[in-house]
Amino acid sequence: MSTRILSLALALLVLAPVRLAGQEGRMAVIVHPQRNGELSSNDIAQIYLRRKRFWDDGTPIVPLNLPSQTPLRTRFSRTVLNQTDARLADYWNRLYYDGILPPATLASTEAVRRYVASDMNAIGYVPEGEVDGSVRVILSLE
Amino acid sequence: MRPRSDMNLAKASLQGVSLWIAWLVFFALVVLSALNAWADPAKQSSPATPPTELDTFGTNTPLGRFSYHAGRGLRLGKTGLTIGGFAIAEMERLEDGERRGSLEEFNFLISYDPVPFAHLFTELGIGSLAEIERGRRGVHSNPGLEVERLFLDLGNRDALKLRFGKYRTPIGRWNLVPRDPLLWTTSEPVIVEEVFDETSTGAMLHGSVFPQDGALSYSLYGTFLPPLDRESDEHPVRRSAGAHIEWASLKGWTLGASYFASQRRNHRWNHLGGADFLWQPHARVELSSEIVFGEGSINNGTMWGLYAQGVVETLPTLYLVGRYERVHPPGGGRDLNLFDLGFAWVPLPYLRFKADYLIADHRNEFASPGLRMSLSLLF
Repeated sequence: MSTRILSLALALLVLAPVRLAGQEGRMAVIVHPQRNGELSSNDIAQIYLRRKRFWDDGTPIVPLNLPSQTPLRTRFSRTVLNQTDARLADYWNRLYYDGILPPATLASTEAVRRYVASDMNAIGYVPEGEVDGSVRVILSLE
Repeated sequence: MRPRSDMNLAKASLQGVSLWIAWLVFFALVVLSALNAWADPAKQSSPATPPTELDTFGTNTPLGRFSYHAGRGLRLGKTGLTIGGFAIAEMERLEDGERRGSLEEFNFLISYDPVPFAHLFTELGIGSLAEIERGRRGVHSNPGLEVERLFLDLGNRDALKLRFGKYRTPIGRWNLVPRDPLLWTTSEPVIVEEVFDETSTGAMLHGSVFPQDGALSYSLYGTFLPPLDRESDEHPVRRSAGAHIEWASLKGWTLGASYFASQRRNHRWNHLGGADFLWQPHARVELSSEIVFGEGSINNGTMWGLYAQGVVETLPTLYLVGRYERVHPPGGGRDLNLFDLGFAWVPLPYLRFKADYLIADHRNEFASPGLRMSLSLLF
């Protein structure tokens, strides 16, 4: 009996991180359905760092962020930009000195999805489960 | 041949004209954008008004939402105008006995984006608002409007944009963002402050491309106009040209190289080379360094110098900072060794308190060792 309990406990210990990772879910980077082309993870990072500011057709890219400290934004900053919020604040201070502002912030993932659906130039990120036919997924991220 | 005084007069009037033209263009663009903001929304090309950062506070107006975000300025609705800036209070107690405190800078950062392919930007300085100094009675003030920078960026391709106006000379990293709220120490390295002109007035081609895991940026520039603000450039170069290239990796490091050629009144060309790097091996650690060698535009004579700086976040929002600099002065003489040690406290992203002590192995015209403190605010 005790061996079974021990085996069960060990199995739970091994599986727990997998389950936690699964709970975070995948992120989808979304654009307007009429926006063609592909973007790499590096392209998306450069867009959110405001280094890449134009689509290939010359129209301006409007990147959308979630409020600071929200778990999805923190995860996006960590995985795509490889930066912490504190480091990014310092980075944006430097760009502000040349009049360049950080990506616009919307209050919720639903607001991001709705805005992207209405603007050809916008790009945002939402949990993959919230994607519907009004937007196109241009990249899926862990 | 025209008499020299006539030539100086002509040059001064050209300066005046170029400054006035710049301001006229600026205000014309402001008026155009205001008219654009009042135009029928149905005729506007964008399907929705681009959102901004979440407001610290904001209000709706006929020109759109006026919103203020701390440390990111006031955005004036659909006009495309953003007005922000920074203020700095300093105190220093130097080893040569000098003691002073001042409200040193109150600068406005004004940007205007009327259309996606144009970005007009200016930094206006108001100068020293209040100063107290040992040996002088009372509070002294010497305000005056100064155009620190004024440039127009044109282009709708990331790989190629044209900048025209007065901008920071792109040599190394430090000179591009040298203001107190953006730095870790109160004093600048000698190789940034004393070797080349901080700003250039002319044109620049610049852009970025994005190979795997990073951004490769370049700038090619030339000075061919007299400075916009004569007082801030006491000994301007006649002509200059330069290039800067930088690789910024997403893995936390940046590497750059610079070349700068300048011709002063003696018609001889000076050549300056440089390299710079930044490395963030950990979220709480930052290492940076620059080296320059050759002849700059301020002091004639071959020189070289380098600095290396480390920043470590020891407690949340509290950073320990150390910098070593070695300078071989122009025209020879004894090498100067400088150590700057101190801390920076950043309780909010837009508020920074710093204190550091500069140590020099000997005193000369480039080094003023002592204690310096500053409080700076981005607004």
